[in-house]
Amino acid sequence: MNLRVAVLKFPGSNCDLDVVHVLRNVIGIHAELVWHKEFTSNDWDAVILPGGFSYGDYLRAGIIAAHSPAMKHVKEMAKEGKPVLGICNGFQILVEAGLLPGSLLPNNTLTFICKWVNIRTETNRTAFTRKIKPGTVLKIPIAHKEGRYYIDEKELRELEENDQIVFRYCDENGNLSEDANPNGSIGNIAGVTNLEGNVVGLMPHPERASEKILSPYGTEDGKLLFLSMVETLRRGAL
Amino acid sequence: MPIYKVEVLITNKPLAKDPEGETIHRDLLLRSGFSCVKKVRVGKLLMMDIEAGSEEEAKEKAFKACNDLRIYNPVAHTYRIEIRGVEQ
Amino acid sequence: MIPEYVSLTEEEVRLIREKLGREPNLVEWGMFDVMWSEHISYKSSKPLIKLLPTKADYVIVGPGQDAGVIDIGDGYAIVLKIESHNHPSAIDPYNGAATGVGGIIRDILAMGGKPIALLDSLRFGPPTDPHCVWLLKNVVRGIADYGNCIGVPTVAGEVEFDESFRVNCLVNVGCVGLARKDHIIPSRFIDEGDLIIVVGGSTGRDGIRGASFASKTLGPESESDRPAVQVGDPFTEKLLIDAMVEAIEKGYIKAAKDLGGGGLTCAVTEMAADGDKGVEIEISNLHLREEGMTPYEIMLSESQERMLISIHPKNLENVKRIFEKYDLPYAILGKVTNTGRVIVKFHGEVVADLPAKLVAKAPVIERKARKPEYIDELRKIEKPEQPDDLSDTILRLLSSPNIASKAWVYTQYDHEVGVRTVVKPGQGDAAVLRIHEIEKAVGITIDGNSKHTYLDPYNGAAGSLAEACRNLVAVGAKPLAFVDEANFGNPEKPEIFWQFSQAFHGLSMMAKGLNIPCVGGKVSFYNEDETTGTSVKPTMVIAAVGIIETYNWIRTMDLKEPGNLIGIVGVTKGDMGGSEYYYWIHKIVGGEPPKADPYLEKSSMNFVLEGIKRGYIVSAHDISHGGFATAICEMAVKGNKGVIIDLEKIPHEKGLRLDEILFSESYARFLVEIRRDSVKDLIKLAREKSAIFGLIGRVTSEKNVVMHYGEKKIVLNLRDARDSLENGLKKHLRGV
Repeated sequence: MNLRVAVLKFPGSNCDLDVVHVLRNVIGIHAELVWHKEFTSNDWDAVILPGGFSYGDYLRAGIIAAHSPAMKHVKEMAKEGKPVLGICNGFQILVEAGLLPGSLLPNNTLTFICKWVNIRTETNRTAFTRKIKPGTVLKIPIAHKEGRYYIDEKELRELEENDQIVFRYCDENGNLSEDANPNGSIGNIAGVTNLEGNVVGLMPHPERASEKILSPYGTEDGKLLFLSMVETLRRGAL
Repeated sequence: MPIYKVEVLITNKPLAKDPEGETIHRDLLLRSGFSCVKKVRVGKLLMMDIEAGSEEEAKEKAFKACNDLRIYNPVAHTYRIEIRGVEQ
Repeated sequence: MIPEYVSLTEEEVRLIREKLGREPNLVEWGMFDVMWSEHISYKSSKPLIKLLPTKADYVIVGPGQDAGVIDIGDGYAIVLKIESHNHPSAIDPYNGAATGVGGIIRDILAMGGKPIALLDSLRFGPPTDPHCVWLLKNVVRGIADYGNCIGVPTVAGEVEFDESFRVNCLVNVGCVGLARKDHIIPSRFIDEGDLIIVVGGSTGRDGIRGASFASKTLGPESESDRPAVQVGDPFTEKLLIDAMVEAIEKGYIKAAKDLGGGGLTCAVTEMAADGDKGVEIEISNLHLREEGMTPYEIMLSESQERMLISIHPKNLENVKRIFEKYDLPYAILGKVTNTGRVIVKFHGEVVADLPAKLVAKAPVIERKARKPEYIDELRKIEKPEQPDDLSDTILRLLSSPNIASKAWVYTQYDHEVGVRTVVKPGQGDAAVLRIHEIEKAVGITIDGNSKHTYLDPYNGAAGSLAEACRNLVAVGAKPLAFVDEANFGNPEKPEIFWQFSQAFHGLSMMAKGLNIPCVGGKVSFYNEDETTGTSVKPTMVIAAVGIIETYNWIRTMDLKEPGNLIGIVGVTKGDMGGSEYYYWIHKIVGGEPPKADPYLEKSSMNFVLEGIKRGYIVSAHDISHGGFATAICEMAVKGNKGVIIDLEKIPHEKGLRLDEILFSESYARFLVEIRRDSVKDLIKLAREKSAIFGLIGRVTSEKNVVMHYGEKKIVLNLRDARDSLENGLKKHLRGV
């Protein structure tokens, strides 16, 4: 089965090649970097919006890219139930484009934070977590200045009822604590999904945690998200 | 003493580059069809409630705070201070 | 008739008139003013810079072009550069530091390299001074915002606090790039008929005479030098990087140069002079940001995010396509000629016509050197008393701003983007990046020591290079090449020039002794407070790169396994001058500073590197700031393991006091962790390499650092040591 995954690059995206590298050299599937001007939905089985600073993060991270014509195609793919993953800036773009609920505000520390964190997997019903047992703690690095997830009370309850929270920041034992929350995200939320479970966004960078040599712990937890995506594609719809 | 509603707007000096304003103009507004917008500049707005004896005094205090604490850097920024109201 | 702003000397003016055979016009005076300024021409420093060794069979490009290039085998090369932005950062720390990053990135691109890492070396006044904290916070934010936005990880650096940097902070930035050997581009014009194109941000009246600004000291009126500091646009820079990398990969670019200090003037004259060519350009073609700019302003503008490239005319449509893909503005300025003259036209009218070589090569200025009195005076200080509570002293030293962890700084930098960072900030003495294209890795580091260099410029500068090399060795890298940034005061003062001259002699001595070439360097003069006349402590900052042929040789400093043994390499001497211990605990900067000895360095380094390669050494740490006590605590805290040490087993000079053994900053020393079954082999290796080596203790699973000295015992709780190291900086920074 010939799987084709697009990594969508906007002006200012800078983790695009990292994602392509992991998909091609670690996971072993056909992945291509696609420039936003050339992106259409027909050719691809899945699309990943990588991290970076699209449009310099000017005005608000992700807002300018969210209005890009390329997003029309991303929305089509989302509607068709294809896997769509937004990593960091990608998550911000999906949120600004209305494909995922909530908002991403500046970190409560007001500084950029780059460090390895622990995130707990809350659900395995999504295209990117079907191979991860709920409760599993993953070690993945974050690197962002606007990563504080915020949503109002009513919508938060809906998220919880609909099983739309995918990852939460936790300590190495899986406990949700304030110390484990690097940026003040409500409910320690690190990643969410849509109702259908095919669109997922998360602030941590799984492509940076997919090879043991790059992990201070010798782990490769990030791989699980990409392997889940492959599994989803091989098995057909969720 | 009355409380003055003071607004301090800090922007890059008019002759300095404003990459954020330029990008919002070019890549967001113009691309989305708002060609009527000819220029965009971006700034930081501080809204301060200041206790002072007069408008003049309130403006002076606002300026002193921004200057002494380097909230605005005279080398790079320009500022505008306006009184928006007063509470007794 | 010379414009009043021109800051050339009378002799220089006379020479220009004589060589040109006529009076230069306004635009031409402006071009000479900037090209013959200290910052661009290096007129005071050229003779000394020539002392440095620059050749090795793996050096592809040495000093003289936009950056140095070193062959790392298998068709790849490393591009290396260092730069300073001291003066702008002292006035507008955020934009000064940000644009410093921007400039050096473009230098790497100009050689055909893709930037893969940044390093920063920062020096400020005491952290109790709010002005210094303001500078620190904003410099770090400036580097972070710019570097993170363009997606280049900042992986290594250093921060030092010292009185002399109160007004004149030092902001040195290093950059490493990766290039394919067959894609390396020179910074000089190649063929007549090649097209000259400027690509990137638009040109405005930014930084006009900025280069001359860096050649004057800072006085009270500097704050109102408005045009001198530019606002950076990292978004445009990122587009520039992507476009250049694509054009370079496709082979469209014949030569390239960053438009930085000296702007268009510097780029065209240097590229023409170096290539024995001339240019003919129409500058009204340039995409401008402001109305009514004059030719003078256009030629001297230092607007950011611009590069100059030259291409074969057949590739014009190809590069246009790439620039348009990224929505990058560009302008075709003109062409390369064979005349050797720089001819500048503005709306068809010639506004400048100068011989490229005359403009690009300012005559050297002979400066006087005189040894300052403080050198001998400060040697003869009284030895301070040894504190009673040495464990308390160690904890205080660990939490001192110069020693404590700089995590507060580097967690603001994205140090993981690019998925190459194997050894991250804080894990080892140097950062390690994998070059997975060829299954090798490189170590990179940036180091300097202002106190040592102040007390003894010759040995201090030599020692700075030695430390950089030791830092590379400690992570398993064989040092390949270095670049140097010389930060000094006013060279017109004989005492300062003496420091400068001594430093270069020392640096050259060590470089030759270690057989490590210099592939580039920069000089920043006039780092002096005009009102008080105080100059910064002279600091030779070294950025160095080393090669690790296989991932198995990569090492970090954290202790790995209880039961392993600890050894020390090198001899500890009582040369306490300039030590952090004297400075922080006794408030002294004085005494006998360490002497740099390339022979000792070589034997220590070769021994440790070979020991790592053979798998005998499992962790390594260079001993430098804060001495042995600091180094052993760092290894223990990071590994969360305890240690037991017999201090008497440390090879040392006779008659040393206990505090001297603990805190001496003698050069050529390492701490290593060894598995028991490797001890015999390691001792044999030490003999072969003529290295001084002593087994001094072992790793334990107790959570404390225990050091014995005869009857005396020093005990440190690991938790306290960790608290001192991790929270030390935050404790001292006001309002952070």
